Amino acid sequence: MTQPAEGNWQSVSSKLALARRITLLFAFVPVVVVVGILWWWDAVPDFVAPTGAVIALITGIWAWWIIGRRVRSFGYLERSEDLLVRSGILFQRLVIVPYGRMQLVDVTAGPIDRALGITSVQLHTAAATTDAVIPGLTPDIAAQVRDRLALAGESRNPGV
Amino acid sequence: MLNEDGPWRVNPISPLVHAARTVPAWVALVFVAAPAVGFVWGLLTILLSVFVIATLAGLVALFQFVNWQRLTFWFDDQGDFRVDSGVLTRQQRRVQLSRVQAVDVVQPLVARLFSMAEITIEVAGTGESRVRLSYLTRDEAHLLREAILTRARGATPEGTASVVPEETTVLARVPWPTLAMSLLLRTSTAGLLLLTVVILAFAIRREGWSGLGLALITGGVPILTVFAEFIRYYGFTVSEAEDGLRLRFGLLKTENRTIPAGRVQAIEIVEPLLWRRKDWVRVRVNIAGVGKASDSSSGSNGGETLLTPVATRAEALVLIAYLMPTLHVEALDWHSAPHRAWRRSPVQFTMLAIGWTDSFFAARRGRVTRRTALIPISRAQSVRWTQGLWERALNLASVHLDSTPGPVRISGLHLDAAYAKTVVFEQAERCAAQVQS
Repeated sequence: MTQPAEGNWQSVSSKLALARRITLLFAFVPVVVVVGILWWWDAVPDFVAPTGAVIALITGIWAWWIIGRRVRSFGYLERSEDLLVRSGILFQRLVIVPYGRMQLVDVTAGPIDRALGITSVQLHTAAATTDAVIPGLTPDIAAQVRDRLALAGESRNPGV
Repeated sequence: MLNEDGPWRVNPISPLVHAARTVPAWVALVFVAAPAVGFVWGLLTILLSVFVIATLAGLVALFQFVNWQRLTFWFDDQGDFRVDSGVLTRQQRRVQLSRVQAVDVVQPLVARLFSMAEITIEVAGTGESRVRLSYLTRDEAHLLREAILTRARGATPEGTASVVPEETTVLARVPWPTLAMSLLLRTSTAGLLLLTVVILAFAIRREGWSGLGLALITGGVPILTVFAEFIRYYGFTVSEAEDGLRLRFGLLKTENRTIPAGRVQAIEIVEPLLWRRKDWVRVRVNIAGVGKASDSSSGSNGGETLLTPVATRAEALVLIAYLMPTLHVEALDWHSAPHRAWRRSPVQFTMLAIGWTDSFFAARRGRVTRRTALIPISRAQSVRWTQGLWERALNLASVHLDSTPGPVRISGLHLDAAYAKTVVFEQAERCAAQVQS
């Protein structure tokens, strides 16, 4: 990806990859249970369970690897008039939100995120499609980002 | 009614109108239920049925009468509109007049027989934000509408009692043959009807009559849709209003709708394939606080975001100029997607293009149904650059300007990747430089 916007792109915490991999493992538990039961019960032809296991394993490894790359792809850049957020490996995107269009800034953390000490910052504009999320920030950085954004938004928003 | 200070009530015959509206349902119920419990149709049964229907309707009227007693509305000291209602659950609603989006006078068929009307107030915000007052006489409804709108504008409410809205300048009117024709020639309708013909031809030739059921669906659904939309949009009239455009339409139920010029966020001109010979277009808009994301499907429920169901291009441009005076669609300089985009979108690639002026951005797409989306740069919320796998393989990327929820999406698809990125940064800069209006 070329970078026409030069500047100090910030990346997100690598703990985010850990958090997402834990979520991935949770998603895999039911798959493993189902495959195990089928195997144990002889409910299906012999080749089905091993084939299923191999497919699941390959998908899992691939997902494990892509999560790492995807987390590294996250970046944000605070410029003087707008915020840039980029992300994605397979589907790449870059969102530019002018500070004057921000309506509110959310800081959220799920249970896994909290356990690992990361939070995500989301910008909301009047458009539902804006989709500007910076996940995987440490709480103090997230708070700083939120405060800076809120300040920048306030000074530019004419109070619509 | 509005001469004295409130609280006011809706018209005393409202319970009767409410009851009258339920009569068809009771009739249907009796017709189904009577044979089921073993009654044979005779004079006695008919008399009994009439009695049962009258009783049921009477109960509704009684219930609605209690409701009527409890329903009061007035303007409070802070200048907000208040509605108290409810028998078992008391509800007190306060409508912040500064957040009123539209006030509509609606006349359902039964209400019209009593020359009554109901009034709906749309308020910005999510969820159940619509306030409905039924019923008022036509004049009362218009007076109340004017009173609410006047106060919402922050003007003094003096003389509201005497203002009866006069008919203002009509900008466009859709004749019924045009409406019927345009609905039939819509891409989806025409496609399904064509499919029906093919199925019928096969069924007749092969004598495989099982295809007939399918033909009934592919033929019946579009005809019903066309019929429903024809009734809904019959007599569609756009006229000038103080704060934007006023729409009026409907055969059985007259709907009035205001499109406030200041709240229009984006505009889309839609040209289905079979309309082009007639030079017809449909125009849809995103309005702040009105549209929902679900409106993006071009279903029949998009009435709140429709500027006109059909109009000639020239008429449409007049309407658009009314909402956005600085916009000149014909003067736009289009920058097309590169030729290699055909490998990503083999059908529409020749139409894909973006264009902009000092204050607008436009994106065009669609070959069968051509769509031109327009957004004032001051109303764009954010700017996005996206690139899918297949796009990356072809060194293409797409540009999006985000608008408030509604049917219009502004997407310049499958442009040259580097060019798209330049455009995104340019537009973002222009977007940040223009204060949101």
